[in-house]
Amino acid sequence: MPNLFILTLQLAVVLAVCRVTGWLFQRIGQPKVVGEMFAGIALGPSLLGWIAPHASAYLFPASSLGFLNALSQVGVVVFMFLVGLGINPRELKKEGHAAVLTSHVSITAPFVLAAFLALYLYPRLSDDSVHFTSFALFMGAAMSITAFPVLARILDERDMLRSRLGTVAIACAAVDDVTGWCILAYIVVLIRSAHSTHSIWLTIGGIIVFGLAMIHGVRRLLRGFERVYRTKGAISENLMALMLLLVLASSLFTEYLGIHLLFGAFLMGAIMPKEAKFVRYVLDRFETITVTLLLPLFFAFTGLRTNIAAVKGPEMWMYCGLIILVATMGKLGGSTLAAWLSGMPLREAAGLGTLMNTRGLMELVILNIGLDIGVISPALFSMMVMMALFTTFMTTPVLSLICPKEMLQAGKVEAERVPPTVNLREGEGAAA
Amino acid sequence: MSSTNRRFVVAYILLVGLPLAGLAGVLKNGRHLTAPISIDGTWKVEANAASAPSDACAKTISSLLASNLVISQSGKTLAVNFTSGTKTPFAGSLNGREISAPLGAASGCTDDQEVTLTASVNPDIEPKSLTGNVSVATCASCAPMAFRAVRQPKAQSGGGH
Repeated sequence: MPNLFILTLQLAVVLAVCRVTGWLFQRIGQPKVVGEMFAGIALGPSLLGWIAPHASAYLFPASSLGFLNALSQVGVVVFMFLVGLGINPRELKKEGHAAVLTSHVSITAPFVLAAFLALYLYPRLSDDSVHFTSFALFMGAAMSITAFPVLARILDERDMLRSRLGTVAIACAAVDDVTGWCILAYIVVLIRSAHSTHSIWLTIGGIIVFGLAMIHGVRRLLRGFERVYRTKGAISENLMALMLLLVLASSLFTEYLGIHLLFGAFLMGAIMPKEAKFVRYVLDRFETITVTLLLPLFFAFTGLRTNIAAVKGPEMWMYCGLIILVATMGKLGGSTLAAWLSGMPLREAAGLGTLMNTRGLMELVILNIGLDIGVISPALFSMMVMMALFTTFMTTPVLSLICPKEMLQAGKVEAERVPPTVNLREGEGAAA
Repeated sequence: MSSTNRRFVVAYILLVGLPLAGLAGVLKNGRHLTAPISIDGTWKVEANAASAPSDACAKTISSLLASNLVISQSGKTLAVNFTSGTKTPFAGSLNGREISAPLGAASGCTDDQEVTLTASVNPDIEPKSLTGNVSVATCASCAPMAFRAVRQPKAQSGGGH
């Protein structure tokens, strides 16, 4: 049984620290979610555990972390559903060649560079229980991800969602996330099958059948939700509960198949109807509690697993610097080059590259999976978390430098777009 | 094919196709790399505490060896702790099959009595085992305390952690 006093205290402290840090970060022009990510790190061994070890041991005893994790995972399941819900495959088609090339390069460039880096890091930061292929593919997937929700938030704050740059960025980020998650699913299957009695082909076959059934069967049934919304202008509580049940069922199924709960939640979101008002309505219903309470718990749990002290000595810090450099070169550099070659002006292309370099929360989700399945070591986990923080933190100031607001206004398009997706700002549930 | 489409195809091959070919090469070459042996996890310690000297320092050490050894591994860098020990793990290192971890001055020992854990891994038989000892520096009367440890099976990670 959980110690309810400790659990409630943890919820209160995490909530308070995340809100205050988020507010402080907003003061310096950063999205609130960046502050919350830092708050999570501050509550872990890197800061609280370092300056007040007794307080840290009292507040986060090892025996309580299982409950904190379980709660945070529920939040991440709902969050991944919302991320999938916000992704609209049609967005990419609208943007044509520029988006196709940029999105694909923004995956392959960091992926390949990360694989090269893996050649150097594998003998230094891994061990022989992990195959090089799994290690390199995981590094590639982790470096090629873009934080779709944080990106949407930054674009919204800067009034860039309807600019050419904004629409291409959103489309590319959507493709990156879908691709990144597919690769990650493969890695998870690869690693879990090594410890499982089931054949890997049975797992892969099951996933393909499940995916096809979801896309060609369940997807049609889901249109019923949209029809009800269009007719009545609202969805009853019972139907919302049914939607949540479907998310949980899909999550359980992917977990049973040997991938991860989160893939099922993401897939269910991705196949939901994409009519703009319907998407907004569902997001508003689910966002508040997820964004205000459950995601901060995930940040705190991630922070508790991140120990910056594990990155010790000049050699380790050099690895960390190298990871940040390769991640930035691959994502920012690759996207910029591809967008520029596709005909986008250089400054705008560099702005797109900067946006694509935002990793944020999605990176933390992936890294936690990597640590769970043992494909990355604790020190590498901490380095990658720092890379996620650095690349997310740098987005806003670098973007302001490269693409001032006035310049972006010139690129604004008139077309109505789907409203921004997952809102990682205030808990008021307002449109992101 | 229009010139725009042709340019797109050329750019796509150069920027996507070639790197993917490079990735295939990296994955092929990387298979030959070797990483340090895996020693991460919890190890059940077996030590003969009865043979330990009866001073306070030795008692502390034998009480440590009565609990499990927990090793967190990042390549050759280790964080070593005992389940009955302090919350802060000790930094250690892995060199080939040899583990070395200075455990600081244990309670009951004087400041200059630095305690060190050294062990050798036997990776050939599953579950892996360690044989080694815990020694105290500048203590002529303290004989190194020998121990053996066997790695415990890891719990299968579920949907979360």
